[in-house]
Amino acid sequence: MNLTELILELVLMPFVAFVIGLGMVLMMRKIAARLQRRVGPPLFQPLYDIVKLYAKRTQTSHGMVHDIGIVMAVGGYIAAETLLPMPGMNGIAEKGGLITLMYLMMVPSLGMALGVGQCANPNGSIGIGRALTAMLAYDVPFVIVVFGVAWHFGSTNLVSMIDIQQAGGISTWGAAQMPLLALAGLFTLHGMLGKQPFEVYIAPAEIATGPMVEMSGKHMGGLFVMQSFQLYTAAALYVTLFLGGGENWLFFIAKCFAVLAVPVSLAYLFPRYRTEDMLRLMWKWPVLVGLVGLAFVMR
Amino acid sequence: MSLNPLDTLFLLAGLNLLAMLLIGQWRGAGWLATLFYGAQLLALFQFDPSQTIQHSAFSIQHSTLALNWQFDALAWLFAVISVAAALAASWYGAGEWLRKYTGSRRLLHSALAGNVLAMLLLLASGDLLTLFVGWEATSWAGFLLMALGGGSGQKPAREAALKYLVYAIAGAMALLGALVVLFQAGHSFGFAQAQASFATMSAPLLWSMVLLFLLAFGAKLALLPLHLWQAPAYSETPAPGAVFLGSIVGRMGLFALAVVLVKLIGIEHLADLALPFTFLSAQDLIAWIAVLTIILPTYTALKQNDARYLLAWHGIGQGGYMLLGLVLGTALGTAGGLLHMINYAATQATLLMAVFAVMHRVGHTDLNNLGGLVARMPLTFLALLLGIISLAGLPPMSGFVSKWMIYSALLQEGRPLLFVASVIGTLGTILSVYKLIHNLFLGQLRVEHEKIDEAPLSMLIPMLACGLFAFVTGAAPVLILGWVAAAQDSLGLPVLAYTLGGVSSPRASLDMLWVVGVLFASFGVGAVLFYGIGGKTQRIHQFDNYAGGHFLTGEMRYHYSDNFYAGLMHLIGGWYRGSFLWLESAIASGVSLVANAAGGWYRAVSPGFYLLAATTLLLAWVLL
Repeated sequence: MNLTELILELVLMPFVAFVIGLGMVLMMRKIAARLQRRVGPPLFQPLYDIVKLYAKRTQTSHGMVHDIGIVMAVGGYIAAETLLPMPGMNGIAEKGGLITLMYLMMVPSLGMALGVGQCANPNGSIGIGRALTAMLAYDVPFVIVVFGVAWHFGSTNLVSMIDIQQAGGISTWGAAQMPLLALAGLFTLHGMLGKQPFEVYIAPAEIATGPMVEMSGKHMGGLFVMQSFQLYTAAALYVTLFLGGGENWLFFIAKCFAVLAVPVSLAYLFPRYRTEDMLRLMWKWPVLVGLVGLAFVMR
Repeated sequence: MSLNPLDTLFLLAGLNLLAMLLIGQWRGAGWLATLFYGAQLLALFQFDPSQTIQHSAFSIQHSTLALNWQFDALAWLFAVISVAAALAASWYGAGEWLRKYTGSRRLLHSALAGNVLAMLLLLASGDLLTLFVGWEATSWAGFLLMALGGGSGQKPAREAALKYLVYAIAGAMALLGALVVLFQAGHSFGFAQAQASFATMSAPLLWSMVLLFLLAFGAKLALLPLHLWQAPAYSETPAPGAVFLGSIVGRMGLFALAVVLVKLIGIEHLADLALPFTFLSAQDLIAWIAVLTIILPTYTALKQNDARYLLAWHGIGQGGYMLLGLVLGTALGTAGGLLHMINYAATQATLLMAVFAVMHRVGHTDLNNLGGLVARMPLTFLALLLGIISLAGLPPMSGFVSKWMIYSALLQEGRPLLFVASVIGTLGTILSVYKLIHNLFLGQLRVEHEKIDEAPLSMLIPMLACGLFAFVTGAAPVLILGWVAAAQDSLGLPVLAYTLGGVSSPRASLDMLWVVGVLFASFGVGAVLFYGIGGKTQRIHQFDNYAGGHFLTGEMRYHYSDNFYAGLMHLIGGWYRGSFLWLESAIASGVSLVANAAGGWYRAVSPGFYLLAATTLLLAWVLL
């Protein structure tokens, strides 16, 4: 591949990811609305929200780190998208691989944590403390899944994982070969998204939305963009590891939305777990299922 | 006669020590020492790390025993990092810091110079006897540096240093025991003879040798359960001492373990050595000790409320990663372990210098009584930020590259539990370093800190230089992977085939040049989106806020710091049982009981009886 093509891919991949992510935000809100017998927002509402937040006249900043935190949060995800293959575009996926992606996905979280910390609001700090604890909760089953998948495919290269699954058909998909790991992965995905019942770090009635408490205007808009990326990244990664990646755009987008619909639909049926309950849950069931799945993969 | 680079190095280190002993009290002595370390670093770069072994002209011969010194690529690598750490530490403490220092300057400078000389002598050991001598010199020099903190009660430096001494002497006895056994087997202290003796040694004897060496060198590396002394001993010393101790001194244990376990015994031999009644080998046992050394001290760090202690506990944990990588024995794993030693030295030096800069300005490092300092010390904040990203092992810093290598090696070797356990250590590190930067630099600035200044330039330059080193070697690992590959070669390990940006293989590839390039381009796009689009942001004062319906004032503490991870501690808080403290105190009580009993008995019974008993026993032994 020549350099121009690669640079074009590096520009296109985050952009496409963002657009799909906006669609996912819409789907999430629609599902919530339907479960609560409401109509839900119109098609372009996520976009309107971002435009509104960026265009607000009152934009308060608590200092440089507050701003840079948002830059890191958005920038980190833009970089992460170039490591996650899309149909026809691999970006720099082969120069990084699964472990690099896993760690790069922590950079936006760190950025957000720095930005929130600078706001000097204890509700924000408590929220970040809880969010990082949540990461400790869901990342333990997640690394078990990562190990199992990488061992199964014999590589951490996401492109070669997709190639293997697409060459062999549905029976070679990660989900067919490693059903237990796929189940544990779905659990992890739910925790990673921070949706109910795992949203104790937002807890609006208790800590006034936690990390978002001092965010308004562009800062909130930045977090909205980050959420769109986050939804896409989590879903696309799951599709890559377990559902054969994207043969073409239609299948790819359909799979991504379908994967995301599972945790999002479940989310609104549950109350909220406390932090220690989330830890207990994540360290018990997905870890157990994941370890059993791992034992099957490595036998 | 012309001096070879090794002799020049020893000469410079010796002259430095002499100068500091003579004129260490002088105000400019810190700068002179810094120049000496700079000269030593230059002398080191006169070597070619990939060259064959270079011998010193200096040696000591007595009957059949000889002490001789030589440098190979492994020793060179550790020497470069040691001297560079001393250079940074000395520079840091040479300017304004020294003017405020109330202790003895001569003692501080001489202790640092003595440590460097002792460590160079250890690293250059040409045989096991020289290694023992160097090991002892390093231990005592380290004690001197640790004891500088002095004090008691609230400042337990001296007690911690004494505790270290007990561990060091126990370790030395273990080492002596191992060397005696080895000499019995091969009638020589030479490396080649030791290698041959290990190859033919019976399993039980080899096991006891491995355990003795682990006891001897593991105490310095603070491997579990020999780790309790390190955090207080390293934290309480004056800033340059703490920076030097924290970044490299403990790693001498790693060097010695690399020489003995990898070069002399060999990883394959360890993998074949089965632990009786289990399915584990000696290699597995050491890997699990390393992983426990990663996890338990890291989660102890999470609970610290003093920034220096927090970093010192992480230092113990990071040593575990190095040993884990090394004991895997593969090209990728051992490269990761050795690379982590380099990366971590730069990272820890940056972090400690930033924390001690806060201490220099504010007077303490209590994480519950600080906050918001980014407004007053932005460059120190930047250094700490670089440091924590590297310590947590996230891109784009160098700490990520070495941890990536260790993870990938564990993956390729099919070690799932070790892999998961080492990632759990990394996750704990992320939690802990966020608490560090949050409680120091973010949030509400206290009223009494509103007028403090940024750290002085003499402290900022080495701090930022170390941070920059950790960044540049993260973006372009090729700069130091050559050193690592040469060290692997000198240990007789498979050598890592590296590329410009890291590693390229079908099973795991990493090109940091691209990853870092794309990451920074993305930050650029993020910045354009934030600053270029939408309304103009307005900076507001930290008290332009309200809590519970009241406006904020300076008297109202509005910074969340204590029990930072309350939810986590709710679950795992009960798991901190202080078992190792209990074990240590139980051993100490046991030993003191035996000592008291023996002393009491000696006083109770006439000494003449002992003389008679000893003579009778001696006669019996001679006759029978």
